[in-house]
Amino acid sequence: MNPFVYRRAIDPRGAIDMAARPDACFIAGGTDFMQLWKAGISAPNLLIDISRLPLTAVERHDGGLRIGALARMSDVADHPEVRNSYPVLAQALLASASPQIRNVATIGGNLLQRTRCLYFRSGSLPCNKREPGSGCGARDGENRLHAIFGASAQCAATHASDLAVALVALGARVLLASQNGERALLLEDFFRLPEAQPEQDTVIAPGELIASIDVPAAGTWRSYYLKVRDRASFEFAVVSAAVVLDLADDRIRTARIAAGGVGTRPWRLRGCEAALIDAAPNAATFERAARLAGEGAQPLRHNGFKMALLERTVLRALQAVRGDL
Amino acid sequence: MTAVVTDKNDDRVPTRIEAGIKVKGAARFAAEIPIQGVMHAALVQAPLASARIRHIDASKARAQPGVVSVITHEAMPRLNQGAFLALLREPRVHFAGQPVAVVVAETATHARRAVALINVDYEALPAITSVTQGSSEAFAPKVAGRTSTDSRRGEPEGAMAAAEVTIEKRYTTPTHNHLALEPQCVIAVWDRDGAGVTVHTGSQAVFAHRKAIADGFGLSVGRVRVVSKYLGGGFGSKGSAWLPCLMLGIAAARHVGRPVKLELTRAQMFTLVGRRQETIQTLKLGAMRDGRLVAMTHDTVAQTSSFADYADPVATPTRVLYACPNVATSHRLVRVNAPQPNPMRAPGEGPGSFALESALDELAHVLKMDPLALRLRNYAERDQHVDLPWSSNGLRDCCRVGAQSFGWARRPIAIGTMRDGHHVLGWGMAAACYPVYRMASEAVVRIEANGTVRVRCGTQDMGSGTYTVLAQLAAEALGVPVDGIDVELGDTALPEGPYSGGSMATASFTPAVEAAAGRVRQRLIDLVIEDGESPLHGLSADQLVLSDGYIRAGTGNAAERLADVVARRAPDGIEAFADAAPDAAPRYSSYGYGAIFAEVRVDVDLGEVRVVRLTAAYAAGRILNRRLARSQFIGGIVGGIGMALHETTIMDERLGRIVNDNLADYLIPVHADMPAFDIHMIDEDDPHLAGGIKGIGMLGTVGTAAAIANAVFHATGRRIRDLPIRLEHCL
Repeated sequence: MNPFVYRRAIDPRGAIDMAARPDACFIAGGTDFMQLWKAGISAPNLLIDISRLPLTAVERHDGGLRIGALARMSDVADHPEVRNSYPVLAQALLASASPQIRNVATIGGNLLQRTRCLYFRSGSLPCNKREPGSGCGARDGENRLHAIFGASAQCAATHASDLAVALVALGARVLLASQNGERALLLEDFFRLPEAQPEQDTVIAPGELIASIDVPAAGTWRSYYLKVRDRASFEFAVVSAAVVLDLADDRIRTARIAAGGVGTRPWRLRGCEAALIDAAPNAATFERAARLAGEGAQPLRHNGFKMALLERTVLRALQAVRGDL
Repeated sequence: MTAVVTDKNDDRVPTRIEAGIKVKGAARFAAEIPIQGVMHAALVQAPLASARIRHIDASKARAQPGVVSVITHEAMPRLNQGAFLALLREPRVHFAGQPVAVVVAETATHARRAVALINVDYEALPAITSVTQGSSEAFAPKVAGRTSTDSRRGEPEGAMAAAEVTIEKRYTTPTHNHLALEPQCVIAVWDRDGAGVTVHTGSQAVFAHRKAIADGFGLSVGRVRVVSKYLGGGFGSKGSAWLPCLMLGIAAARHVGRPVKLELTRAQMFTLVGRRQETIQTLKLGAMRDGRLVAMTHDTVAQTSSFADYADPVATPTRVLYACPNVATSHRLVRVNAPQPNPMRAPGEGPGSFALESALDELAHVLKMDPLALRLRNYAERDQHVDLPWSSNGLRDCCRVGAQSFGWARRPIAIGTMRDGHHVLGWGMAAACYPVYRMASEAVVRIEANGTVRVRCGTQDMGSGTYTVLAQLAAEALGVPVDGIDVELGDTALPEGPYSGGSMATASFTPAVEAAAGRVRQRLIDLVIEDGESPLHGLSADQLVLSDGYIRAGTGNAAERLADVVARRAPDGIEAFADAAPDAAPRYSSYGYGAIFAEVRVDVDLGEVRVVRLTAAYAAGRILNRRLARSQFIGGIVGGIGMALHETTIMDERLGRIVNDNLADYLIPVHADMPAFDIHMIDEDDPHLAGGIKGIGMLGTVGTAAAIANAVFHATGRRIRDLPIRLEHCL
């Protein structure tokens, strides 16, 4: 680790003002950041501790829910409103990491966690995301866990967050605060495709702070998160699916599906959604829609199985939402 | 004759005697030993799989505050080469991760930061980065573990051709790493005159390490002391595999003339302290329709490094577990520019039993025969490999007890019939064996005038309960409670004890400790009999019993405290030394046995495999402490579950680099992966083994992976021959 300056912010404004220099970094739970720092992947000169900022509330807002960026994962997962109205969110959180990590990690930090790509995490392997221009080790290397959607020639790393997948399916917005004021954008647009700048995971600007996440009103939505993984707990998704359906009068009014473990960012499955909307919520509809999940995928050498697995995961999640399971 | 001990813990069985101080954090592991003025070492590692070092520029690092020294091959003291890679000897890189320089600094932080400032100019050389790539150069090693490289009995080729049913399959097992919870650490403290050294380290073999250090630095063993009081696991990685870096730490301390501490990082544990070698195994079985095996061949190709040979004894189960007149086995190695393999828990028998016990399951399926019945049909009445009778063979008992507890008789022979919603259940089994090894051991048992009993034996406790069983052995012989016994181990200043490896520590020290304790007991008895002041005066030895700290007459109320006897008649205490060694030419073949039964649950759509329950029955000689033994078996089985479903060290073959060198990406089973364990121990009375101990550390890891793979086949009809089993194999 490099020598650094540590400062603790007491209010969001102060944190933003301190962060107005390119070598500054916020730290909250630090569960991912400390790993990156120890591995030499991050090396801030100014560390701004935001863990005491009053951004931990989970409250009703505009008919929906506003989740403070510093709310702990475990607190959000246990929140009655989350459990009752947004099961997809509670399920995604409880399927993440371990209880110890969920007790420390924050919602904002979870969204900003970096990829689990083996080449990114190992300090000296080629990786354009870690070290632009060093090449992508994964595209022709060990890519079993890599993306089948949204990759560029420079990068095929997946986004690791379960929470982000659920929030994208819910149409959540992220509220960003900076010296220029606040801006809100769809979480889906917050995450970038790697394209030619894989080092930029999101559109967040230097010095910008995630203040909160706004989740729309749940109304009559039903939702479900299904995560498929290589061991029973404490492991990232091989494939996951977040499904949000609004079922009424034997008709699917709205359908939003996002998938994890398959895309370079949480991946909306718009083809599946289109096949569901206005159709009857029956087995035939679900199967037809799920079959479209792998459409447009560009598998790599070791991850072709994810296409079939994604279809099956989506189908199972749809069945679960309807209560077939 | 045999008593079955079931899964229930018994409150009368002692718990680990050191558990309290471990829980309180008072047990000091090697890295926690406080040493005045200790310096910290950090390693510079090569990023290439094969290279020549043109130049090392350490000027920037040397100029850093806090940096004491940077040692490269140019400044490294010349060590007498042992049977391992002496590091920093030559400007040559054999594998990615090899240390090429050591920084010694005032703090660990200074040392690590200086590492990043060292520039090494490499000339990259061609590298072999996979077994497949180098397989045309496969060669026969001199030995496979402690066994012969090749074996042959009967006429396997002719018998195979005449067999009514044959199968021939290829099985592969990947590289594994030991990854003990406690990273390797050495603190080396040289005497002021440089003539001797004290080494604090987590060691599975303090005496073997002492000898290697003495040889390496040209010292007499009397000038070297190795201390290892507690280990946070070893699994094979704290024996000879640790020597190269251990020696490096000691050499660095001598070079700077101050105590030096070198502690490995988790990532370094993937390259510098051994690994379970990758294997490619071809198994052929020939059988008659009634299931009788008539021919078996088992040929293994495995990875070794570019600089040393190591072969696991993969074929051992094939050679001995079943009766078969015609058997041929072989072990071949391929040199890869990769870390040096070494023994890891159930070396050879673990991967070998995966192939053999999977192949038997395949044969049973072809024969439409119950897999357990196939094993029993081929029960071996003697060891045909070395042509000796068994000292004891409890395999049938294991099969009977395990099958009954598991409910094996209800297993449908058809595949995939046990549906449960989106899941399908499968039942699989495997047999297991592991050889009984023993080595010489010494021990001292002593009773003080205040009644304190001490046991001194220079073996080690890897966390598995050696402290406790040493206390138990003395407690039993002297009739004193286990609690008050003072056990000293893990120090070359003690009487020489055995390695903690090969499941042999307990089997080796038990006869010595029992003999020493027996001598103290005899001396106590003699003292009271001849002592006119004792109420027990004049009684004969067979009229006396020792219990609860007293020596008593078997009938009547006459009794005396042991402490009083010692205080009065032997105020300096009573001490006895004993040693014990295995027979030079054994007349019996000795193995521990097991039968493992697994139930798996496979998601038919998503491919996820989970082990639901696991029954295992073991016949492994005399069990000294059932609680600790159960824990050992479960630990071994968890290793087997990891082998079946999770563990693999991944090498990027283009780069020659390990890419998952951390515990987030090298998966091991977590608590949620644990099945319900149902463990049975069949207490054996083996009259042909001194002490009756067979060793249990390895046995749990043998057969488990095959039982799980066989259960996956029973559930899905998918025969997975390449470990680990991944969800995509079951889609």
